[in-house]
Amino acid sequence: MSIVTVDATGERCPAPILAIAKALKENPTKKLFLLLSDDPATSPDIHAWARMTGNNVEICGGGKFEITRKVPT
Amino acid sequence: MVRVTGNFTSEAPLSDLAKEALLACLDDGWANPRKISQLSSKAAILRDHSLEAIAAKLSLSVSQIEVLGEIGIGHHLAISGLLSPASHLYHCATDRSEVFAIAQNHSGPVTVIPVTHNGVRQDVDHVLPGAVLALEMANNETGTIHSYDQSGTAQMERSLCAIDATTSGTRLPLPNFWNTALYDARSWGGPAGIGVLAINGEGSWRNPLPHISSSRSPQTFSLPLLVSAAVALENFDPQINRIRDLSKRLRANISSAVDDCDIAGDLETSLEHITSFSFLYCEGEELLRKLSVRGFSVDSGSACTAMDLQPSHVLAAMGVLTHGNIRITIHPDTSEQEVDRLEVAIVETVAELRGAI
Repeated sequence: MSIVTVDATGERCPAPILAIAKALKENPTKKLFLLLSDDPATSPDIHAWARMTGNNVEICGGGKFEITRKVPT
Repeated sequence: MVRVTGNFTSEAPLSDLAKEALLACLDDGWANPRKISQLSSKAAILRDHSLEAIAAKLSLSVSQIEVLGEIGIGHHLAISGLLSPASHLYHCATDRSEVFAIAQNHSGPVTVIPVTHNGVRQDVDHVLPGAVLALEMANNETGTIHSYDQSGTAQMERSLCAIDATTSGTRLPLPNFWNTALYDARSWGGPAGIGVLAINGEGSWRNPLPHISSSRSPQTFSLPLLVSAAVALENFDPQINRIRDLSKRLRANISSAVDDCDIAGDLETSLEHITSFSFLYCEGEELLRKLSVRGFSVDSGSACTAMDLQPSHVLAAMGVLTHGNIRITIHPDTSEQEVDRLEVAIVETVAELRGAI
């Protein structure tokens, strides 16, 4: 399964969250995404974003976050 | 006197009575109350009356309280005064940074107690007897109240408890078991620069600062500020029911008008006058600037508004969105119309920022 990588390294909040939201919108058929971010706010915010939007997120370490698009109901 | 309008920051101007007391004391209370002279005696009378007034309002005795001219050092006095080098220190993940600094410098074991998504402190059943428990009554960023159930109370009985009442002030009573308690005069509309440290029996507390005499605190506070703080406290009316109604309406209307809005903590478990909103995809600094242009001053816990560019550890510990954050404080003299205007400004500003993405 292909994965869409979103490199937000060097960007500060809320840019990394905006970047992943934009990537999901622009890639409606893709399910897996990898967000790269070194912003300390990304870790708490990506979890809050996932809770608010219904998507799933896993922290991979090293500033990598794997996002799985929510399954449409 | 023209009041500052649109002020929803945690600070507020002094009331007219507190300001008058401050100015009068600059004329009448400038002498050192500890010296021997007629003017010093007058200053001592002012000091003693203020201490009695503050102690009475806090349901404490004068002998239990120390006045501090620097609130930051109060956390050190309150917590470190109970610690021995080997003590186990427990504190909450949402405590003030001063508490984290004390924990970092403590040589004994430290446990950070997590909070729920509502910001309520989680169970502390594992607290060891004899440990030092640093407990905030309510959080300064979200207003979340840390209530103590039966098991928590049992822990407090077996522990040494340092209570942080700097945000709650007189809005919440102290728990049954406490060893030290710290107040900030700003919590009751008093001036900045006056803290009150309460010590409940001296058996377990010692002054952690370098000292020669038997004094329990540096005694470096300003007498005019103390007098002003006492007058502010005597006349403080938190208007809890009115502000709770305003806060309830503000929370409901913003939530229904703005998608993807994260509110930190429930009103039922929070101080009524503090509300923290986070808006997904918005930048906190831009929110502050645009609201400021419209005449509203608010606080923020977003990283882009912090000196060190770190997100709020309080919001992060609660799992609440840290970006696009604004913190609203409704003061006793805030009008319903001001809150209504702020509500409109927030809704329009968030829409404007999201529309520009």
